[in-house]
Amino acid sequence: MSNNTYDAIVIGSGISGGWAAKELTEKGLKTIMLERGKNIEHIKDYVNANKAPWEFEHRGGRTQKMIEDYPVLKRDYPLNETNLDYWTNEKESPYVEIKRFDWFRGYHVGGRSLMWGRQSYRWHDTDFEANAKDGIGTDWPIRYKDLHDWYGYAERFAGISGNKDGVPILPDGDFMPPMEMNVIEKDVQKRFKDFYKDARHFIIGRTANITVPHNNRTNCQYRNKCWLGCPFGAYFSTQSATLPAAMATGNLTVRPWSIVTKILYDKDTKKAKGVEILDAETNKTYQYFAKIVFVNASALNSAWVLMNSATDVWEGGLGSSSGQLGHNLMDHHLGVGAGGRIEGFEDKYYFGRRANGIYIPRYRNLNGEKRDYIRGFGYQGGGSRQNWSRDIAELNIGGAFKDALSEPGSWNFGMGGFGETLPYHENRVFLDKEKKDKWGLPVLAIDAECKDNERKMRIDMMNDAKEMLENAGVKDVQTYTTEPVLGRGIHEMGTARMGRDPKSSVLNEWNQVWDAKNVFVTDGAAMASAACQNPSLTYMALTARAANHAVEELKKGNI
Amino acid sequence: MNRRAAIRNMALILGGAIVLPSCLHDDKGKAIVELERLKIDAEQEKLVNSLTQTILPKTDTPGAAELGINLFVFKMMDDCASKEQQADFITGLKTFADEAKNQMNKAFADGTDQERTAFVQSVEKQSTDKNFKDDGKLMAFYQMVKGQTIFGYTTSKFFMTKQVVYELVPGRYNAMYPASKATA
Repeated sequence: MSNNTYDAIVIGSGISGGWAAKELTEKGLKTIMLERGKNIEHIKDYVNANKAPWEFEHRGGRTQKMIEDYPVLKRDYPLNETNLDYWTNEKESPYVEIKRFDWFRGYHVGGRSLMWGRQSYRWHDTDFEANAKDGIGTDWPIRYKDLHDWYGYAERFAGISGNKDGVPILPDGDFMPPMEMNVIEKDVQKRFKDFYKDARHFIIGRTANITVPHNNRTNCQYRNKCWLGCPFGAYFSTQSATLPAAMATGNLTVRPWSIVTKILYDKDTKKAKGVEILDAETNKTYQYFAKIVFVNASALNSAWVLMNSATDVWEGGLGSSSGQLGHNLMDHHLGVGAGGRIEGFEDKYYFGRRANGIYIPRYRNLNGEKRDYIRGFGYQGGGSRQNWSRDIAELNIGGAFKDALSEPGSWNFGMGGFGETLPYHENRVFLDKEKKDKWGLPVLAIDAECKDNERKMRIDMMNDAKEMLENAGVKDVQTYTTEPVLGRGIHEMGTARMGRDPKSSVLNEWNQVWDAKNVFVTDGAAMASAACQNPSLTYMALTARAANHAVEELKKGNI
Repeated sequence: MNRRAAIRNMALILGGAIVLPSCLHDDKGKAIVELERLKIDAEQEKLVNSLTQTILPKTDTPGAAELGINLFVFKMMDDCASKEQQADFITGLKTFADEAKNQMNKAFADGTDQERTAFVQSVEKQSTDKNFKDDGKLMAFYQMVKGQTIFGYTTSKFFMTKQVVYELVPGRYNAMYPASKATA
């Protein structure tokens, strides 16, 4: 048994799991990080990262075979031939959709930290206070001041490039130098500022791509192939950042192919004593023991682990005494925006593929404004020069047409909204009674949808996009919208929320499970509300803060 | 993967010309290119090859056939097109062949550059005619071939290294790059 005993167990190896492993090992704890999928070794296993576009058989496209194999992934951009291995095998790991929910997963070391969008924004007190003010869900047990230093800590280590824009709703961070806007983005920004003054802001995206060398990582090379894995380690991932730091301590063990089936709960001490795993390759069961357990399996799977744990004490699993475990599932709703053409600048182009765009922070329902919905949304977008295409009848085929294909086309500018989704108790995941996965384990059923508040917000998201682009000089602006589908934002949150009261929340202010104080959940599951900013930076800050607290409590003998 | 497919893929990867000796043709009119899901005969293959070359002919730079773009079109239609798209492709291919024969009094592939170009231009014209009904899937076929031809060409090694500026590792972002050449 001694071989299976550690100081700490981390379940999951994605963004928050990697951070937990780094923090705990740096504080001297012997830690095992359990990952349900295969190992992906930094650089060596990024097999497609150095291929040219023409080296892909279908030039990055999707085959009918892929479409058959990935009935969920095919619904949006992630299904492609360049990084197919990074997405979860849906036949092995199915789930049940009571309502459509696009769950895009990554089961391997690094999790979705390898494929994430890297946009990194702090929250504001407006976000932490929103539930209390609106009387919705449960009040966050923390405020911005509680996370302020941890945001800085996370930013300095992860390496977030951005500009100190001084936007009140979007606090500035400890940034590396920002990436540059291209010529039309600068033009749109200027017109935007002339029109909106300080009421709305148009800023360069804040992204976890480093712009100067950092911790043995090379600065961004403007390849825009991030989601293949970066041979330069230029964007934050478990592999590029937290894993090497944790390994350097000599305190970390990583165990791939380890599906945690339950947390082992001790009724007498009211604490977890370890976890049980199923080896995904051998189907053998093992137990690991530790003083603390960090649950970082991603929002839905963290809920799944809790639901399968301590069921002899609580039928619904560890953390279910609140009646909130698995509930309040949130995401960001998107797929609505506008785009148009920019006149002029024919003699200008850009060189390099910038893996970043522009950002328009939230401006709705602030400073006393009251729309017919609550909360708000932001936009991500960018300007680019398209390939040549003109509607000239005589120039649709032939040698002149062929030559024209290499001429730069028109400048376009487009942007899409990211809207806040409210925490609805009835939006939830639960264990399906019938269906099993490849390993005979119960699978999740997901029952969640966008409601009236999100739908009303989307009308603004579409119309505002058009209005702002037109006010900023963009021509021929076209809007688009889609049926809002949860999951598409790939920002699952809320299924084991933090709160002030064990009767209405699963976790306390330090991300500890109320019913087992040495169990910490610090991924998206912990979120009490969604705000409209990309959430990963907040997970990093929450994780570092919780790990610090865990070690302090351990030293005090409190857990 | 079979040998012919391997040759084909190597050609794609190298982005270079592929010339298959005519002796590979057998008497039964079987296509040279071996496809798994899309069934075509040698005549039809010749037509598509010829059509891609009509869309992007050889000038002082290579045309579609010299770059193996015709093979890319088959590859995409074989692997990536849905059953419905493949059915339309076949139906439209037949319609295209028939109409070309009517207009040119010979098989499309046997036409001169001028004859083939004139016919394809007439197809292009039809595509802008609001009253045109694509019952024979002529337009569906043509648009698939043209779309994949352009996609294959603009992502080919030749295009990306010789016609536009492409670097696998740009290493920098220049926001004020002059527009003498497109970048990719």
